[in-house]
Amino acid sequence: MEPVGFAYLGGGLSIGLAALGTGIGMGILVGKTVEGMARQPEVSGLLRTTMILGIAFVEALALYALVISFLLIFK
Amino acid sequence: MEHLKPHVILPLQIGSLDLSITNAVLFMWIACALVFITLVIAGRAGRLVPKGIQNLMESMVSFLHQTFITEILGEEAAGWFPFVATLFFFILYCNLIGLVPKGFTATSNINVTASLAVVVFLCTQAVGIYKHGLFGYLKKFAPKGIHPVILIIMIPIEIISAIAKPFALAVRLFANMTAGHLVILVFLSMIIMFKSAIIAPFPLAMATVMMAFEIFVALIQAFIFSILASMYIAEASHAEH
Repeated sequence: MEPVGFAYLGGGLSIGLAALGTGIGMGILVGKTVEGMARQPEVSGLLRTTMILGIAFVEALALYALVISFLLIFK
Repeated sequence: MEHLKPHVILPLQIGSLDLSITNAVLFMWIACALVFITLVIAGRAGRLVPKGIQNLMESMVSFLHQTFITEILGEEAAGWFPFVATLFFFILYCNLIGLVPKGFTATSNINVTASLAVVVFLCTQAVGIYKHGLFGYLKKFAPKGIHPVILIIMIPIEIISAIAKPFALAVRLFANMTAGHLVILVFLSMIIMFKSAIIAPFPLAMATVMMAFEIFVALIQAFIFSILASMYIAEASHAEH
């Protein structure tokens, strides 16, 4: 159980847990967008643009965790 | 991992500054030249009913104009639209050049994205100070109508959020581009790892799918960077906090 092993474990764990939260968040987001588009099809362009914006924010959080995991694995 | 790191093509020292030409710099110049050439050709064509490349560029610019000006930037900050649109096209071309064989994504280097984020940060602060004066800009960190005790907590939070926003901008673009290239690298190295010709088509197919997804991500990340930059400029320019 050397310290280097813990770094690899931490790297894998960090991105795994981040992907969990991101998956749930994006699922809720896209589901609400589809629901909104079904209720009112004429604003679906605006809804699609806002959804892409929201997805980028959620994805950024997961990518912070990915950066940390890269730092852990490659250093 | 080797060709994901920048390497120096032409070492160049001026005084104590290391201004060597790395391949990131070279590809940024190529992206600038391509943006300039395509947009100038599209602008010169000048037909009333656009065709060909003028159509493509005009559709992108008009989509950006409609999204940015009417909703986000508004009337007063509308002069900032050329800056934000240039940011969009430059980042888009930098991202897409990396997908061509032998191309290097300049934006997959944290220094490049950090400098773009610093430029956006300086622009937002400059807009805030110019519009509201130095004292009015500092007053924006303290929203009115709240209890003074909460103010002591609110001001550090506002300052931290003002610094975290360009940081997030830089890291978002950098991590998206690097992660995409790394995933493709991992899939292609699985072919070398397995060393069999039967398993080989599957990582190849997955790598092709990831390349297609990369094109999509390149477009989206350029759009997100420019739309967030325009939102920060609009917020600095007409928020009466």
